[in-house]
Amino acid sequence: MSEVMSFPILERPKSKGQSPMVTYNGVVKRFGAFTALTGVDGAVYPGEVVCLIGPSGSGKSTLLRCTNALERIDEGSITFDGSPLPAAEKDVRAVRRRMGMVFQGFELFPHMSAIENVMAGPLTVLKADKASARRQAEQLLDKVGLAHKADSLPAMLSGGQQQRVAIARALAMEPEMMLFDEPTSALDPETVGEVLAVMRKLADEGMTMLVVTHEMSFARKVGDWIVVFDHGKVVEEGPPDVIYVNPQAERTRNFLSHIGWHE
Amino acid sequence: MTLDFSVLHTALPRMIEAAGTTILISVLAMVIGIAGGLVIMLLRIAPNRVVSLAALSYVEAIRNVPLILLVYWGYYVLPILLDLRLSAFACGLIALSLVVSAYTAEIFRAGVRSIRPRQYDAALALGMSKAQMYRRVIIPQAASRVLPILASVWVSLFKDTSLVSVIGVHELAYVSLEIRSSTFRVLEILSTMALIYWCIGYPQAKLVDRLHRKYGAKE
Repeated sequence: MSEVMSFPILERPKSKGQSPMVTYNGVVKRFGAFTALTGVDGAVYPGEVVCLIGPSGSGKSTLLRCTNALERIDEGSITFDGSPLPAAEKDVRAVRRRMGMVFQGFELFPHMSAIENVMAGPLTVLKADKASARRQAEQLLDKVGLAHKADSLPAMLSGGQQQRVAIARALAMEPEMMLFDEPTSALDPETVGEVLAVMRKLADEGMTMLVVTHEMSFARKVGDWIVVFDHGKVVEEGPPDVIYVNPQAERTRNFLSHIGWHE
Repeated sequence: MTLDFSVLHTALPRMIEAAGTTILISVLAMVIGIAGGLVIMLLRIAPNRVVSLAALSYVEAIRNVPLILLVYWGYYVLPILLDLRLSAFACGLIALSLVVSAYTAEIFRAGVRSIRPRQYDAALALGMSKAQMYRRVIIPQAASRVLPILASVWVSLFKDTSLVSVIGVHELAYVSLEIRSSTFRVLEILSTMALIYWCIGYPQAKLVDRLHRKYGAKE
């Protein structure tokens, strides 16, 4: 963080007068002998789109998975809505309901149709009644442009369609925040755009989003705050206008030039 | 050597009735065994070491002894242990159900483990409990993957029910062998017995194949 401290003041408009929705304090995560996160600090404010970028294996996805306690951290703390992530399984579930998650590999339930996937959370977790769950699912599928695919099994859908259903499935829990784990990395190039368009719509509606992504133009245009990872730590963070135009850290410049980013 | 199938006039009705018992005990053992197998599989993957070790011991104990021994055990030892009098049918059913549950527990466990870890994550990320995750997401997927293996368990179980004849359950093997001893028409009776087993077993095997094609893994 000392690198960041020496930077000029970075404007973070959505942080003004708000308490963070999520904070990370000295988060350390180890997998056996490998340390995936080596003391990460940071925050996500309500309504913000925070994009985590950096080389593969730099810890971005691990941080995302620690945020809803799919992975347990070894040191430090993560808070959500002012409270540390609970230890008890039952309390963790209550936190997870409030965060939607979208995976790189979509992870739709293959034995359920698109609409059944979207209804799965409300029916199982919230014990919603079937008629209202179906109405809500129809609206959400319509929102992601897939009302006509409601009865299709995931195997019958393209990657981009599956991912849009997966977003609808997460939204069905009416989360306060969405976690995206490289949502377009497994997609054919021609379907990336349709998924990013849905994400952009969500961002415009004011959804708080934490996005691990390699889509630099998405992060540049839609992101409010960019966090650059390398070797399990944050090397730089700031608004996209700084990170993509005038990055301060050597490693950010290296990363951006390596992936061929030109402003 | 002369063949005399006239013996079948009286034998066949009795054999067909006995085949009904064979089917009944197979179906019951399969249903009870699958339900038991599910429970044992869930105990086997439970986080509690003592629980999972107990389930593992059960599976290994049952799987590694001959079925005929279990049948005898169910008939001679179990009633003493439980201090009740059970019919031969009940003892045979218990022995077969134990075997089916031990085998299917392992089959279900392999099925559950074949579901990729991110599916577990996706269920948990929605806020599901572990129980909800297994019930709604993991087991339904695993079930369609293990269907062909369950099918072969079923087909062998159907034939293995003949072993309960040793404790006097009046199923197809017992009744056929009894008729054979009393009429000495060995070839006729054994051939008929084989034909009945085959006629019942073959369509089942085909039906299960079709179910597999229809409901098999969709990925």
